Amino acid sequence: MLERYLHALSLADPGEEDPAVTRERLRDRFPKGATRRMTQLGLLIGAALDDLVPRYDDAVVYATQYGETRALEGYLDSFPAASPTLFQTSIHPSAVQQAMITRQQPVGEFFPMTGRGHLVAQAVQTSLLSPAPRVLLCGGEERGTWLLTRGVASDRTFAFAVALTAEPGGALGRVALRPEDGTGGATEFSLPDFFEALKARQALDRPVGPGARLILDWT
Amino acid sequence: MLPAAAVRLEAAGCITGLGDTAATHAALLRGERALALSPVLGAEGGELVPLALGGGRNLDETAPPNWLPLVQRLAAAIPADEWGSPTRPVFVTSSNFGVGSLYAFRRGGDPGHLAYGTPSLCVEWLARQLGWGSTVTTLSHACVSAHLGLTLAARALHAGLAERALVFSFDFISPFVTGGFHALKILNAGFPAPYADRPTGSIGLGDGAGFAVLSRDRGEFTISAQSLYNEMHHFTANRADGAGFAACLGPVQAAASGRRLWLKGHGTGTLEAGRLESAALAAAFPEAPLVSWKGSLGHSLGSCGVVELALAVESIRTGRAPGTVGGVAPCFTPQVALESFSTAGHDGVVCTSNAFGGAHAAFLLTHA
Amino acid sequence: MPDPLKTKLKQLIVTTLKLEDVKAEDLSDDEPLIGSGLNLDSIDALELVVTLEKEYGIKIKSSEESRVALGSISHLAEFIRSRADPARLPG
Repeated sequence: MLERYLHALSLADPGEEDPAVTRERLRDRFPKGATRRMTQLGLLIGAALDDLVPRYDDAVVYATQYGETRALEGYLDSFPAASPTLFQTSIHPSAVQQAMITRQQPVGEFFPMTGRGHLVAQAVQTSLLSPAPRVLLCGGEERGTWLLTRGVASDRTFAFAVALTAEPGGALGRVALRPEDGTGGATEFSLPDFFEALKARQALDRPVGPGARLILDWT
Repeated sequence: MLPAAAVRLEAAGCITGLGDTAATHAALLRGERALALSPVLGAEGGELVPLALGGGRNLDETAPPNWLPLVQRLAAAIPADEWGSPTRPVFVTSSNFGVGSLYAFRRGGDPGHLAYGTPSLCVEWLARQLGWGSTVTTLSHACVSAHLGLTLAARALHAGLAERALVFSFDFISPFVTGGFHALKILNAGFPAPYADRPTGSIGLGDGAGFAVLSRDRGEFTISAQSLYNEMHHFTANRADGAGFAACLGPVQAAASGRRLWLKGHGTGTLEAGRLESAALAAAFPEAPLVSWKGSLGHSLGSCGVVELALAVESIRTGRAPGTVGGVAPCFTPQVALESFSTAGHDGVVCTSNAFGGAHAAFLLTHA
Repeated sequence: MPDPLKTKLKQLIVTTLKLEDVKAEDLSDDEPLIGSGLNLDSIDALELVVTLEKEYGIKIKSSEESRVALGSISHLAEFIRSRADPARLPG
């Protein structure tokens, strides 16, 4: 069984807050002038990571199904005079990079992941397999506009970051993945599901993907 | 910078604008260029820029995507197994996935494109087409994506979570990505000349897809000392002192001690990054000849790590490494090999890739 | 008498790059645009290039050329005057 202990947690659930309002609310969390180019997802993930104080020897694992939806929409709408800023910003894993670049925070390992029903299982496995002393597992989505009307964007905005180490002392909880035979591919556990479990400090012991059972318990 | 444990490489293959692995390798040895000047926005025109499309396909997307036959052709070369079962996981890496389909939808309005437009929809569709199970992990970190797949596959093998692992990388260009790089003023009218010391730089963009089958103990080659580093200095520029490149190369340099190496670099044709990259490689591996093949194939973005791994393997197998096609003297360092050379007498190759945000990746490939 | 092209360029810079708390009239003609107190970088420069290309019908061919053109507002005005159709210039 793979496991690590959860030592810090930061969550953002701004509901239908407009990106401009998020920017105004969080601008003081970033260097002066940095937020003018940041997306809502970048601001929220950046603030969540900031709460965990990233270190040089951390590994960062970033999970999102849709990534930079609003930048993607804006970039697609900018053609034929394509916007270089929106192109750059729309490329995964921009949200984490926006935050860490503004703060000039190098990191050894960075695994940006995407997916859908098994994304949580895969991101947790990636986190638990890392040899880094501490893993910052973060993720989130931002609500789309016209891509949402077409069913290819998230309908909610949220972000989270958790710090995972091998040390049980002082931990808030434990995250573990247990291999399990016979767990079908039909089992899914989405990123919003994981966010809600973190928010509610809900204990979990359930299949989350093929051959994988997720255990989340709280101290 | 934490190096992943060594794994064996059982098989590797690729498809590019020049064809499959053997055809691409042979064409590179002849100094051929896959890149041709093409309108940056496809049917909507625009400046002519160097692009390399595979299999005669069009830059403008169809529904289903017109690159599917190329992927199917490549997949036919993958050793048969229950890929996507829990002990045979697949690690898919790409930078753009089906974003060309989203572009086609937005420009043309046909909702038929949407089924391929997001990374998850694209990969799930691809998995069905290729008959994979559902143990498919998807990574996306621009031009180091493929290296991340190799690293995670190695870790899964060493943790006993897999008996064999398939890393599958693909990136097929579209006006979405050509328009973007053109807006960044690095995809220009000139052909790329990797590591050339000249006043203006330019890249080319090319289609690419590749695979690597890894296991703990089978295969002719070993991938070891995989190293990653992220400068987080700037989206499109590296630290001017080259420290980011050096940080990634350190673990590989240590592992390669005593070996006579050649180097497969990233070398897209941009100036400042090329200068820093070649200097860092020369410092870490003095006298090792350095090549980049992007002057011919174009930059295949999220797939470049595995595409170029397959070509490195072919180079070792055939005894000849293609030189830096499209490169011109003077170069940033004397190690840049403009002409092809014999790989006999070299007992390993270091393969590197770099990406936006100052991401760096490297590994050492040797005979097992 | 202020140069109308420089005045327009300053307005374009502030609006295109969404510079908060910066007034167009406070931008210096000769201070470097990139890497100075405005905290603009190469991506800002390229975003500005897209706007300028649309506004004045000019073409900037490479990132190296954009770095030269965007040396300062004075440099930029000179560059645009040398490339644009005079009918598209203000004043």
